[in-house]
Amino acid sequence: MVFSSVFFLFTYLPIVLLAYYLAPLRWRNLVLLVLNLVFYGWGEPVYIVIMFASTAIDYTHGLLVDKCKKKGNDRGARGAVCSSVVFNLALLFFFKYWNFIAGSLGVLPIIQALPLPGGGSIPFTLPIGISFYTFQTMSYTIDVYRGDARAQKSILNFGTFVTLFPQLIAGPIIKYKDLGEQIDRRDHTAERFAAGVQVFVVGMAKKVLLANNLGMLWDDAYKALPTAELTTLGAWLGILAFSFQLYFDFSGYSDMAVGLGRMLGFEFAKNFDYPYISRSLTEFWRRWHISLGSWFREYLYIPLGGNRVSRPRLLLNLLLVWAATGIWHGASWNFLLWGLYYGVLLVAEKFFLGALLERCPRWLRHLYALFFIVVGWALFAIEDFSHLGPYLAAMFGFGGKGLTDGMFFYYLRSYFPMLAVAAVASTPLAKQLWDRLGEKPRMVLLPLLLLTGLLVCTCYLVDATYNPFLYFRF
Amino acid sequence: MKKHYPLFLSLLFCAFLGSMAAANALTPDRAFSELENRALAQRPALSWKAVGSGEFMKDYERYITDQFAGRDGWTAAKAYLERAAGKRENNGVYFCDGSTLITRFEEPDQKRLTNNFNYVNQFVEKSPVPVTFALIPTQASIWAERLPEGAPNYDQRLVLSQAAQSSTARFVDLYDALYDHKDEAIFYRTDHHWTSLGAYYGYVGLSGALGYEPAPLEQYTKTTVSTEFYGTVFSSSGVRWVEPDEMDIYVPEEGITVTSHTYDNKGNPVEEPRELYDRSYLEKKDKYSMFLGGQQPLGVVKTGNSDKPKLLLIRDSYSDSLVPFLTPHFSEIHLIDLRYYKLSPSQYISDNGIDQALVLYSVPNFVSDSNLLWISR
Repeated sequence: MVFSSVFFLFTYLPIVLLAYYLAPLRWRNLVLLVLNLVFYGWGEPVYIVIMFASTAIDYTHGLLVDKCKKKGNDRGARGAVCSSVVFNLALLFFFKYWNFIAGSLGVLPIIQALPLPGGGSIPFTLPIGISFYTFQTMSYTIDVYRGDARAQKSILNFGTFVTLFPQLIAGPIIKYKDLGEQIDRRDHTAERFAAGVQVFVVGMAKKVLLANNLGMLWDDAYKALPTAELTTLGAWLGILAFSFQLYFDFSGYSDMAVGLGRMLGFEFAKNFDYPYISRSLTEFWRRWHISLGSWFREYLYIPLGGNRVSRPRLLLNLLLVWAATGIWHGASWNFLLWGLYYGVLLVAEKFFLGALLERCPRWLRHLYALFFIVVGWALFAIEDFSHLGPYLAAMFGFGGKGLTDGMFFYYLRSYFPMLAVAAVASTPLAKQLWDRLGEKPRMVLLPLLLLTGLLVCTCYLVDATYNPFLYFRF
Repeated sequence: MKKHYPLFLSLLFCAFLGSMAAANALTPDRAFSELENRALAQRPALSWKAVGSGEFMKDYERYITDQFAGRDGWTAAKAYLERAAGKRENNGVYFCDGSTLITRFEEPDQKRLTNNFNYVNQFVEKSPVPVTFALIPTQASIWAERLPEGAPNYDQRLVLSQAAQSSTARFVDLYDALYDHKDEAIFYRTDHHWTSLGAYYGYVGLSGALGYEPAPLEQYTKTTVSTEFYGTVFSSSGVRWVEPDEMDIYVPEEGITVTSHTYDNKGNPVEEPRELYDRSYLEKKDKYSMFLGGQQPLGVVKTGNSDKPKLLLIRDSYSDSLVPFLTPHFSEIHLIDLRYYKLSPSQYISDNGIDQALVLYSVPNFVSDSNLLWISR
């Protein structure tokens, strides 16, 4: 189930809110657990099994770590942490990466010689959100081992953490230490609920109005165009549209998660902080998908030794972390390439480029960051290398059919208002203006804006199945 | 107020969700959407199997969205919002000058197109009588000047020149015949068909190949049968701000009989009388079906001009408004729709003493058609 659908908004969510708030306090985690499972099973009911398995295995591992620690058996505790990490990674590897690896290495006779059905590929679809929840559950045993969180005694409460629907399928990736206490006890106040409503509606507008709309300019127009038909400015327009689509899609979804969390009494940290206003790529990664960056920092980069190691080792660590970050985004070579692209650029910023940038004027630093971010999105967006090469070439004036054409101007005119709104919405400008308004006008405007947002989004959501049958009579 | 403000906002949100949910529960389900011209999704049956496979959930989401209270209003509002946001198209339909809606013509699938040309050539070879082949360029081509500037749109003339090169039939290029009259109402503004006037110019364009002397336009008396026609492009666009089309007829129907041949559900042949103009369709959304009563596998039009030849027309729906103009020049016009007629057209020609054959499609229908295989039988 996705948040941006008529069914979620007008059937599932009302049921959730009603059931949750009618239930007495001590029943609420149970109610939530059941609703979470309905949410997850809605798309692929069989994968509820993964939820049960994850809950049971990580729960027991947590208790095991706790028990070993209390006995002073550090080896045992480490073993249990290891075993749980292996389980989670195996789950992720099996569903997400096996086909990619088997396919990429399929030329090797070893895999072909194995008596595997279907040539060794797995016939399952990717369980939705698996990259997010395996990372969340992995954090649990590690946090317990490090003493950052107490082991969860109640399997029901733990199940609620594992399956928590607001961030289950698209993040933010919440570490157990940040959520554990809220699972056990949280306040339900009107202030928090109202704050949740605001973030939720803003997030939905970002996703439904901006991301989906600009996505058409990428998916239907420029991504689908044969590369010989591309123009230089057209290629930039296309990838710019994708840059906005991805940001508003992802951050809109995160906002909706934060909002829904607040409606249920939870407080999640924000996942995006205006990434496109960054003045360096290091800053960009402090602002983009914050929960993923901090996960890799805490559970991979620092365990590898962080920056308190020799230079060659540091280089290796950074490339490793960025290769992992890249491949986390999808089982395809282009994501690995995209991760390494950032690895190399961030190493450069760390060692010399950063100091150089400090001395540049602000506008140049913005330009520098945006240029590499947007070019990076081309690596991210185009999985097929035979398409990626010519697309990048067209962006820099090679191949393609010139600087502009009629189509470019048509799309520019059609999408200019949306692009302008998206550009402004990528900056804190609107928020600053909002904060400068007096309290009275804000109180009058807020409900009007919320209702308008809800109504306009509903138009687009209902239109999603607008699919007239045209060729009923040729 | 300030103290209760968060509560007010929370309740406002819940009231919005709740009132929509209630409206959805209370409004009765519709079986069919006239506007979208399709059956709407119905409440799926609940079963363990359907739930286990996930089918139930998928169907239920479709159902909820299709049966959303005030659906037509929401989708119309979306089209207005798109226009307000600067868009010049919605659902693949361009908003054009002069209250005109034109469907984008996408680059055709070359493999299918080549196959379709080959099927027609195979028919030419098999047919015992001469075959004329003509393609009708549509609004996206003849009225290309009305499209928004630079709007992506494949040039239908490329298809026409491919046809002229590869066809072994007598090929008639109708582009000039229509383009010369592009400023007249030769197409509907809200429907994908040509108007009776457009069909008249098609009739003139085909005269050389089919061997008749076309009547001058002044000889006819134009009768307007409807001024409230909203066609298929109107439906697919979602826009609600264009003027309706006017429907005209030119040719009198006296002395003409139409018989539709079809099969009942046991496979027995059934004959059903039809009319050149079935005015009962004027009361419905699908007004264009007034011409010959809409689709049929095989239709036979008898004109009473017994001294004239017999024509076989392999048709799409554009032919239905052309047939009235052809009636003075033929004793019988046999219409075959390859989507439903799965017997050999060549055999049909021999069996029924047909004198000549015409294969006539609009360009968009021809490039996307998947039933032309049957013509080569």
